Amino acid sequence: MSRSSSVEDLPEQCKDLFTQDGVLLKACLGRPVTDLNSIGMLCIVQNQDNSKTIEWRPNDLITIDSDTQDQEWAVVNTIGITMSFAKGRRQRTLSGNITSDYATARARIIKIPIEELKTFRVTRNNQQMQFSTKPGVWQTTFYFQHGNAEIFVAYLKNHVKTAKTRHDRNTYVVVEPNIESQVLNKSFAELDIFTENTTDVVWNLVSNFKQRPYETTMEAFSKLTDIVYYGNEGVNGKRDVSEEVVDLLTKSMNAMEEATTVTKSDEYEVISVKPTLPPRPSIPRGTPLSPEKWWALQDTEGRITEVEGVKQLIFRGGVAHSIRQCVWKYLLDYHPWHMSNAELKALTKKKTEEYFSMKLQWRSMTEGQEARFSEYRDRKSLVEKDVNRTDRTHPFFAGDNNPNLVILQDILLTYVMYNFDLGYVQGMSDILAPLLLLLGNEVDSFWCFVGFMDKIASNFDMDQAGMKHQLLQLQQLLTFASPELANHLAQKDSGNMYFCFRWLLVWFKREFSHRDIMRLWEVLWTSLPCANFHLLICVAILDAEKDILISKDYGFTEILKHVNDLSMCLDVDKILSTAEGIYHQVVSAPHLTDQIRIILGLPTMSNSTSTHSGSDAPTTSKSETNGTKEDQGTGMFGQEMDEDTLEYNGLQICIVTKTVWALLA
Amino acid sequence: MAKTYDYLFKLLLIGDSGVGKTSILFRFSEDAFNISFISTIGIDFKIRTIDLDGKKVKLQIWDTAGQERFRTITTAYYRGSMGIMLVYDVTNEKSFENIKNWIRNIEENASADVEKMILGNKCDLEAKRQVSKERGEQLAVEYQIKFIETSAKDSLNVESAFYTLARDIKAKMEKKQEASNPAGARSGAHQIRANEQQRKPTSWLSRCSLL
Repeated sequence: MSRSSSVEDLPEQCKDLFTQDGVLLKACLGRPVTDLNSIGMLCIVQNQDNSKTIEWRPNDLITIDSDTQDQEWAVVNTIGITMSFAKGRRQRTLSGNITSDYATARARIIKIPIEELKTFRVTRNNQQMQFSTKPGVWQTTFYFQHGNAEIFVAYLKNHVKTAKTRHDRNTYVVVEPNIESQVLNKSFAELDIFTENTTDVVWNLVSNFKQRPYETTMEAFSKLTDIVYYGNEGVNGKRDVSEEVVDLLTKSMNAMEEATTVTKSDEYEVISVKPTLPPRPSIPRGTPLSPEKWWALQDTEGRITEVEGVKQLIFRGGVAHSIRQCVWKYLLDYHPWHMSNAELKALTKKKTEEYFSMKLQWRSMTEGQEARFSEYRDRKSLVEKDVNRTDRTHPFFAGDNNPNLVILQDILLTYVMYNFDLGYVQGMSDILAPLLLLLGNEVDSFWCFVGFMDKIASNFDMDQAGMKHQLLQLQQLLTFASPELANHLAQKDSGNMYFCFRWLLVWFKREFSHRDIMRLWEVLWTSLPCANFHLLICVAILDAEKDILISKDYGFTEILKHVNDLSMCLDVDKILSTAEGIYHQVVSAPHLTDQIRIILGLPTMSNSTSTHSGSDAPTTSKSETNGTKEDQGTGMFGQEMDEDTLEYNGLQICIVTKTVWALLA
Repeated sequence: MAKTYDYLFKLLLIGDSGVGKTSILFRFSEDAFNISFISTIGIDFKIRTIDLDGKKVKLQIWDTAGQERFRTITTAYYRGSMGIMLVYDVTNEKSFENIKNWIRNIEENASADVEKMILGNKCDLEAKRQVSKERGEQLAVEYQIKFIETSAKDSLNVESAFYTLARDIKAKMEKKQEASNPAGARSGAHQIRANEQQRKPTSWLSRCSLL
């Protein structure tokens, strides 16, 4: 297999083995600041003497054929790529023509001889790559606009033998530079694509079909050929890779055809890409976290160390009902994950005392005190009114003089004392009822309620600013994920999304049965796979109603009615699956905006180009740990990418991540 | 598609949390009562078509969350309403005192000529009464608004309250039509007048759907 796309126009007889466009130079030691943040392409180049170099070339060295591509579009946004097919030879326009002041500009090219490369790492969710030729400093940092650094890594690994560091699976140490070219014949499977960080590669393959259809297809087909040649060796019988790839290709090609327009000319074809979302993967839900797994996740002292892994499992499949009582206390920040059984016992004792002392504050109030304390009286009156109309059809709260109603009221009044300024707001009793129903215990329910309220406190702002902000964010997400529907709603005077108010205020409590709301809540409490996933739940529900809302030309009142009437008619697993699919569509979209990134808690483009300077030290284990932490701090996304399989006490827990759904898409 | 009604009136129920707005609506639209109703979050509406002097009048009645905190959201739905029921609970002094605040709220957010009516609900709970009927009447006189005591539970006066409000809206609307179209026929010409009305979008009447 030859990946070369020779550029004969270059004055030096070197050959581009691989090129990746849309790469920003973010940091480079010894370079003037003016060079930073300029966009270019990162290449693996074979020199005349057969040595190899990683080269970064700024885009302004390259002219762009104005007949084939709009200049401004190309500079501002490199999502669309123009391919030129001249005389049957595959050649990139972008790397082709050379400007007259090439010689002076050439000085700006950054070259890293692969011989000298010591270590490199991929961070920021495949958006950033850093290289180092001497221990202790990352000399160059590049930002991959398409978030596909892993593809570059996959090709780079054809030319260097690497080992991963123990503490940071994103950092590679070069063991043997310039391994012979026979590795070029490695099969798709051997390229590590299916065994490591698979998920991203496969997904990016799909999204690349949209961004760079021809090129990606060629790459994928050539890899496919290899698999056919080499069979399934190297796959260890894990999966029938070829079948999966064929499937993926067929589907993605269809999607590509829909999303692209091809203009034919004598000499070349122009492929322009409409800003549409990649196809939505269909993501199966997992099984609930079982008691066996849950107990196995704890060490002998009862501590839970693999918190992110647990959250992943819960995000995938929820929690088995029999262990919810226990797990929810962690998810709602009542029990800290890292506490031992003995520490938890002490904590429970302390929290019980604290609860009852707050309860005593209102219990010991005399009638006279209460009469002179109007602010308390108002709050109490609201609580009493709502307790009597909270889930009364459920057996747990049904009937006259039901003792559980007394507990519900006691907890809410104690919460008034816990947070008097917030007091009681309608909707809180809805939030508390399922917690009390599940936990049964007054003190546990109270502290779990406190944890839940901490997550959604802004829903109850006096000025409703939190709700309005979320409704606006929802509108923005919908505009991005389902523009047709967003447009319809705007036309029907419903662009403020007020008809989703109930969904957001009590986190869909009124839309689902108790059984289903427990599942939905525990999944949302994991904060995976991104911030504000509950807004994507809204988008998923609305997207499913899109055809009805638009085809029936529903107006302002019909929209509200239709949405209100969805209550108790929704399938929680289907919605979770759809929402996750939409999440992957959105984050993989080439035209993803900072506005959406901010909503989903992803690092923004402007942020990533300014905060991450390339001078932090690599390779020593201490700094690697720091680096990992730092990257984790940038958002949940990075963490999700990393976890495939977790091992606890010899028990292997396979987390179904993007690999599986990407293949099932 | 032919409409099954002659007029469409948008009505609104407002008042403190727990005074019985949803129960009143449920009584009127379904003729039923449920002591353990759930609180209203956000906003919802129900429809009932009534016969008024030979005309089919479709009432679209909006029910809102009562807690003050949600008012910034609920007032968005005031727009276009032609009649408002201000509801208080006769067993709750505070809800009665708050009627004044609700009226101010209407003045700020609804059309100036919206028809209003005050309802003193839960009048079946005589033993718990905190607000006398006289005080209710007095307040109504003060604001020149019609008043009636109701019981959604015992189905007392709910029907007549909505009929009264709807009739007042209809009368006001027809009076306006006469005024804006003095040359129009005296009777049986609603359709023609309606069409003419629709060309005057500034009119209050443009908010009603006519025929």
